[in-house]
Amino acid sequence: MFGNLAINMTGDSPSRSPETATADRMNSLLIKVAADGDREAFNVLFAFFAPRIKGYLMKIGAAADLADDLAQEAMLRVWRKARLFDPSKASASTWIFTIARNLRIDAARRAAKPALDPNEPTLLPEHEPLADAKIGIAARDERIRAAFSALPSAQYEVIRLHFIEDMTHSEIADHLGLALGTVKSRLRLAFEKIRKDLGDIVE
Amino acid sequence: MTSLSKISHHPKPETLAAYAAGSLDEARGVVIATHLSLCGDCRLAVRDFEALGGVCLEAVEPVAMNESALASFWTRAGVQERSGRTASKLAANDFELDAAHPLASYLKDGIDSIEWRAVAPGLSQHVIPAEGYRPGVLRLLKINPGVRIPKHTHGDEELTLILRGSYTDEVGDFARGDLADLDNEVIHAPLATGGEPCICLIATSAPLRFKTLVGRVVQPFIGL
Repeated sequence: MFGNLAINMTGDSPSRSPETATADRMNSLLIKVAADGDREAFNVLFAFFAPRIKGYLMKIGAAADLADDLAQEAMLRVWRKARLFDPSKASASTWIFTIARNLRIDAARRAAKPALDPNEPTLLPEHEPLADAKIGIAARDERIRAAFSALPSAQYEVIRLHFIEDMTHSEIADHLGLALGTVKSRLRLAFEKIRKDLGDIVE
Repeated sequence: MTSLSKISHHPKPETLAAYAAGSLDEARGVVIATHLSLCGDCRLAVRDFEALGGVCLEAVEPVAMNESALASFWTRAGVQERSGRTASKLAANDFELDAAHPLASYLKDGIDSIEWRAVAPGLSQHVIPAEGYRPGVLRLLKINPGVRIPKHTHGDEELTLILRGSYTDEVGDFARGDLADLDNEVIHAPLATGGEPCICLIATSAPLRFKTLVGRVVQPFIGL
């Protein structure tokens, strides 16, 4: 099923990766869901994201049935909050990641949530985007994706452990048998590289 | 209006990334969320890290959902209306703590109704319960002008966000919105400056370590 998505999408822009094409497709599906409550579009989003959210939750220790239930719950939040999705601020993957992350935090009983809702309207207006930040969100994600996959494997692994397996810096150090300082410097190097590739390091 | 450009001390990138990944303890999460409510630059940085999280999510090996998952999803969705809420534009430009502010749920009656507990001359604190699933301590500290905290370092990491007033230490000058992201390599002795008490929101993951005899004697009383 996912193969079809990728194949359908690679036709119009052969230079782009299948991942980028899939991500573009997901963005336009989520926009349809936001605009019209399009259930067909949502089913495709569900087929792509729910199994990945389930995989994410199982990686951090949720049993299969609980992960299934929480993945449904995450997709329920996607469905109900879709009108708050702002494609000029985040891609579908990013937005859904933050929803799954917040759900995981809630589920871990950090009851009064410290996480900032990215759609929270009470925030101060942001600075004008820096010149390079004006590239579209899709192009931005594509650069992040490219920078991420181009990282040396040691840096790639610490980021994966951090974002997907929910390990703290010291848990990563224990897991890999590294000094805490080494983990931090690998993360820092990886972030510097990614932000440099994005071209908008804030100084 | 707040002048955002005045913020000159920010969290380290790895701290913002940990926030985006959702791996900070609750206490530090609150401090970072509060800084973000004041700092557009850091919000942009967090957004990039969240995009990295999105890319990681795409790359997660999928685990097939239960056969009935989609059907049961639509059953659940059917009984819950979609949100019709649209974004309204409010500005949380001071610490008046409207309901959506990250600190609001911890300080129900606002920052001016806090019951401060004196811990040393010119120094008082208010401990905020924030016991997430990872240990951490969240507190507000009020330092009267001219008072200096004894020289200390930190067991692991400390985040200090200035909410009101200002202080100066070995690292630099800190004013409202500035955040000191310190580890055990920094030894400092902050001195409250300016004409009003300096109020800081502090998250620690381990007790402070005082470097001087006075500090060690004072520590049990301060409870830091």
